[in-house]
Amino acid sequence: MGIKRIVIESYPILLACILVALAAGYMLNSSIAEITELPLILSMIPPINGIGGNIGSILGARLTSALHIGTLKPRLRKQRVLRRNVSASALISFAIFSLIGALFFAIAYFSGIPVARSLSLALAFFIAGMTLSAALMFVTIASAFVSFKGGLDPDNVVIPIVTAIGDVLGVTCLFMALKIVGV
Amino acid sequence: MTREVNIRAIVVQGLPILLLCALIELGAGRVFEGMQEYFTTILPGLIVMVPPLLGLRGNINGALASRLGTGLNSGLIKPRLAMSTEIKVNLASSLILSLIASATIGVFAFGVNVLTGAPTIGVLELMAIAVLAGFLSALILAFLTVLVAILSYARGWDPDNVTSPTMASIGDFVTIACIYLAVLLVV
Repeated sequence: MGIKRIVIESYPILLACILVALAAGYMLNSSIAEITELPLILSMIPPINGIGGNIGSILGARLTSALHIGTLKPRLRKQRVLRRNVSASALISFAIFSLIGALFFAIAYFSGIPVARSLSLALAFFIAGMTLSAALMFVTIASAFVSFKGGLDPDNVVIPIVTAIGDVLGVTCLFMALKIVGV
Repeated sequence: MTREVNIRAIVVQGLPILLLCALIELGAGRVFEGMQEYFTTILPGLIVMVPPLLGLRGNINGALASRLGTGLNSGLIKPRLAMSTEIKVNLASSLILSLIASATIGVFAFGVNVLTGAPTIGVLELMAIAVLAGFLSALILAFLTVLVAILSYARGWDPDNVTSPTMASIGDFVTIACIYLAVLLVV
């Protein structure tokens, strides 16, 4: 493939992803007062988006392979392969968001934030992460099934959709969880 | 032959790599937090560009990695660390795309700030930071992606479960560090 063709074919997709990610950027900018008050929030953004994106991408890759080789049918009932993959993703999410949440408790506490507030911060991170995981698993399954049924190659569809939506949802879940827990 | 999906195996194999990725992302987060004053007071409006720049990096390198993977698997690219024409074409496209798309991010971020009435630095400053950060991170990560694609092909690392997640996390870290560097150079 020539340089020109790669550039021309890739630019429109990149543009679409930029537009979606700008929504996440706008959300960060409109929460600048909270960030000024509690800069630790910034530390939480790459981990929550990164972990969410990874969990969605890995589930997407596994479901896509299973659809291709035929061990998975694009429907929700009686799908053992689907159920087991989703359980594994949920377990991994729980383990990682607990561990990184605990790490955030330590970081907050040792940077001089009182124990109760450090705990609330860690809890908010955990709640945001689990909510994001659940939402992204749903998006992953839906986009894998819909693209497979529509005759598109899920390999080319699922991961860009999951990572773009994950960035916006990650920031949204984090600020919502911080409000709910009342940090 | 039906292979049984083993939940335990998926968790045991996936967890260590994903935990490593999470720690790299935490490092990226600490650098992001270190830039706090630039976002809140020194360069208002800058933060709008961060998610698009991170996303762009992930998309371009993800595509580069998958084109390299296809090339390696089909035998079009030889698993040697030498600059073949195929690798040059892939690298050049990634760098050109990074430049054009980063400049686009600068313009659009300025547009978002103006439309929402948020305080903002000028469009040229935003573009300069985006292009500089985009190009620096593209340069570092494109070479790293080629290296890792060839290494992982030679060693048989799983692209879905090992290479892609690790590169995505390293990509976020390098991109945020490059945004910081670009900010220091432009300000």
